[in-house]
Amino acid sequence: MSETFKLPPLEIEEYRLANGLRVVLNFDNSAPVVSVAVYYNVGSRNERPDRTGFAHLFEHMMFQGSENVPKAGHFQHIMKAGGTMNGTTSSERTNYYETLPANQLPLALWLESDRMRSLAVTQENLDNQREAVKEEKRLRYDNQPYGQIFDLINEMIYKNFANSHSTIGSMDHLDAATVEDVQEFFRIYYAPNNAVIVLSGAFEAATAKELIETYFGDIPSQTLPPELDVTEPVEVASTYKEWEDKLAPFPAFLIGWKIPPRRSAEFYALYLAGKVLYDGDSSRLYQKLVKGEESVIQLFGFTDERRGPSSIFIGAIPKPEKDLSKIRETIMNEIHDLATHGPTTEEMEKIENQLINDSVRIRQSSMSRAQQIAEFALYDGDPTIVNTELESLLSVTADQIRNAVGKFLNTENRALLDVVPAGKG
Amino acid sequence: MTPELRKIAPAPLAPVAFEIPKPIQTTLKNGVRVVIFQDERLPLVSYRLAFHSGDIHDPRDMTGLTSAMTSMLTEGTSEYTSLQLAEKIERLGASISSSSSDDFTIVAASSLSLYATEVLHLMAEVVLRPTFPEEELDLYRRNTVENLKFQRSQPGFLAGEQAARLVYGKHPYSKVSPSAEDIEKLTREQVVKFHTARFVPNNAMFIVVGDVNKDEFLADLNELFGDWEQGSGVSHDFPEPPERNARSITIVDRPGSAQSNIVLTNLGVKRDDPDYFPLIVMNQVLGAGASSRIFMNLREEKGYTYGAYTRLETKKLAGEIEATAEVRTAVTGDSLKEFFYELERIRTEPVGDEELADAKNFLTGVFPLRAETQSGMTTLIVNQHLYGLPDDYLQTYRDHVDAVTPEQVLAVAQKCVRPDEMAIVIVGDAEEVLPQVESYAASVEIFDTDGHPQDVEKYKMNNNDQGTANVAGKWSLMVDFQGQQLPVSLTLEQNGESVTGVLETMLGNGDITGGMVTGSKLAATANAEMQGQPIEFAISGKVDGNAMSGTLSAPIVPDPLPFTGTR
Repeated sequence: MSETFKLPPLEIEEYRLANGLRVVLNFDNSAPVVSVAVYYNVGSRNERPDRTGFAHLFEHMMFQGSENVPKAGHFQHIMKAGGTMNGTTSSERTNYYETLPANQLPLALWLESDRMRSLAVTQENLDNQREAVKEEKRLRYDNQPYGQIFDLINEMIYKNFANSHSTIGSMDHLDAATVEDVQEFFRIYYAPNNAVIVLSGAFEAATAKELIETYFGDIPSQTLPPELDVTEPVEVASTYKEWEDKLAPFPAFLIGWKIPPRRSAEFYALYLAGKVLYDGDSSRLYQKLVKGEESVIQLFGFTDERRGPSSIFIGAIPKPEKDLSKIRETIMNEIHDLATHGPTTEEMEKIENQLINDSVRIRQSSMSRAQQIAEFALYDGDPTIVNTELESLLSVTADQIRNAVGKFLNTENRALLDVVPAGKG
Repeated sequence: MTPELRKIAPAPLAPVAFEIPKPIQTTLKNGVRVVIFQDERLPLVSYRLAFHSGDIHDPRDMTGLTSAMTSMLTEGTSEYTSLQLAEKIERLGASISSSSSDDFTIVAASSLSLYATEVLHLMAEVVLRPTFPEEELDLYRRNTVENLKFQRSQPGFLAGEQAARLVYGKHPYSKVSPSAEDIEKLTREQVVKFHTARFVPNNAMFIVVGDVNKDEFLADLNELFGDWEQGSGVSHDFPEPPERNARSITIVDRPGSAQSNIVLTNLGVKRDDPDYFPLIVMNQVLGAGASSRIFMNLREEKGYTYGAYTRLETKKLAGEIEATAEVRTAVTGDSLKEFFYELERIRTEPVGDEELADAKNFLTGVFPLRAETQSGMTTLIVNQHLYGLPDDYLQTYRDHVDAVTPEQVLAVAQKCVRPDEMAIVIVGDAEEVLPQVESYAASVEIFDTDGHPQDVEKYKMNNNDQGTANVAGKWSLMVDFQGQQLPVSLTLEQNGESVTGVLETMLGNGDITGGMVTGSKLAATANAEMQGQPIEFAISGKVDGNAMSGTLSAPIVPDPLPFTGTR
């Protein structure tokens, strides 16, 4: 199948401005729409131990206005032009993006360049956004059932501070932050030579280049911070923890493993092993636990993809009367089976078709194209990997999957978090 | 670029045309209507087989039958078991799913166009030859009952349930969910019979969007669905939704709720109403988005909530208009005041030119964004055909939006937004909420979270029976903030039911001006300043002699903080 299917490559042009800003253009006029994604090479991994939560705080600060755009003006401009926008923060990067009708490209570039050039880092904005972030933490983490479990298990899996601490960060650190701290963080990390801008959609290359030069060309570059050390010891930091969650209606558990960095052969193999184990109604664990033994209300799994050591998770919310250790045994037995016999021919065929299907679907939207391209440009220095990634995934063999599962998804390398409902009744 | 040039937002480039070609339409011999929209941008295909009957067409005594039958389609056919089906579908990297809504039932499939024929075969299997195995139905019943239990813990569900009942009365749109008893009594025999009766070609429409060859697709469709026999159509005579002529308040008592979930609603219009375009523009100005009036007022100016919106629900046979927000308990009454202010204003003042232009720009601008992906495009086409909208509907959508005038917006607001006859539904702590909202309607009813009516007098008595408590004096309170006890001092002066005073906290002091004592309950707000920002604390307390307990709310914390203290 893979021999007969060739995905047409995305048309990509890449260059750098004199100030170091990396520009990637992906021309596709299948809809009169344009997406702009600006990725800054700063995530929670870059934070100082006494200033956690800074990268995410910036995601908020970047909507607080700049020299020519008033507070919340970014949002209003985009809405009124018929567009959508947002920003997100992870351990690896902070991104800002918008999708607009194609003729509104100048507006998007003007808005993104104004904040890259002249973010309004004032005491008032800082105070205001500190409070907003605290509210967000309470709403999304502290006040949600199971809201804190991923941060908790990351602390168990990783030993290097750059990897282990949460993106939302410490409220004490945010409180202690001064305007000078924030200005310095902005100067270093939000510099053009620490960013990638990707345009995807319907536009003319010459017009786009001229606009990019006009808006971004004279933003000064900065001395970049030294390379970051995100290496980890092989073993996980701790293997068992019980967490009392006063909002959780049912007990639950989460298992996590530390695995190799993204785009390594073993990472690819484990990503595909995950598909066999927990993706879709025909996956092994769904059939065992949701259909067969009917033990769980919810089953989930995913890989957390990082430039440094990454991780893979499997979690479940069992039905009220079920025995958690028995469910975990079922999971470990399936993993053991995969490590012994590898995936079946049918499973390999399924993975192959799913990978092709996924990569075609992701290309439909200008925003998802822009985001994928930006990641390859930022993390790997090569946006055209977007055109070869599918091949790399399809070349993984059943043997490689079997070996990687055996090597990484064993009991010794496992962090187990038990969530216990507290204060019920 | 010079700083001068950067000062104002740049003008857009020349507009880029956005042409949506019209689909091809035909009908199979047995009456299945077919719509083919060729979209060759990528090697993908999406199928939708839609039936013009949905949850509202459940037999009167068998609520939940349509959704059970629909969910069970992929759980076994004459050729394949549930597992074999899942494996077959996923091995192609494809998906097949089925779902029902109020008006329609849809079987959806999508895949790489390479597997278009195989997936169509599997779809025919699922639609024409499901076996509804007893053990799969049993699992469905047990899982659904668990989910129904979970649903009743969600304030949004409880609010929606009451709002639908009040707007639609005896019309089946009033049922938002079956009950556990409904689900438990469903039998396999009923499901099988119902499938035979409802899944008939003269009740169906097949829509395909994507990279397909029209002739090959029609040949496959004829082969697979050509022998499918007609049945009797589905016709129903539903009771009309009731006419409302006064405001009413319905509270679902959820003791200890940190927030009040508010829904204000009245009957609106159905999907094919001629006023649809002026209405969506009106709704955009009023409350559809985060730059609309209601959001700007309740969230940005007043800080009562994370979000406040209005929504138009337009179904096949009727619709409703809703204003919603989740607000801090202490500002439930104040929120109603702002809601009604905005609902009144949109009916009385013509909308400004700039505001109108912004709303229209948003609606016309996001339209092509929705058509970018095949699933977005498919949804647009499916809706157009299911609701019987004109053939050029998608082609002319943006022209229709652009043509809306301020006069039309005012006219549809007066016709459809009817604050004087709205149903006010509030899910929250009834004892706290009732005194704040009583004055907004002549009638009040209270339910528990299981939907059982409660005695309203009981809630009123709690507030009034001991007369007005004496709250004057200096109180020392301890506020529980994430496990820490923070001291707060409260000095009150009392004149009958009204209270003034000072709230002193570590963060700053606030003046209390218009506090109230109702029975044993104290409700007051203190306006303080914190790091140069005005901040409003809301105090809600219950006095028992020289002891007081209650909550302190502030916009900076999502939940009210509990306190206890003495005088």
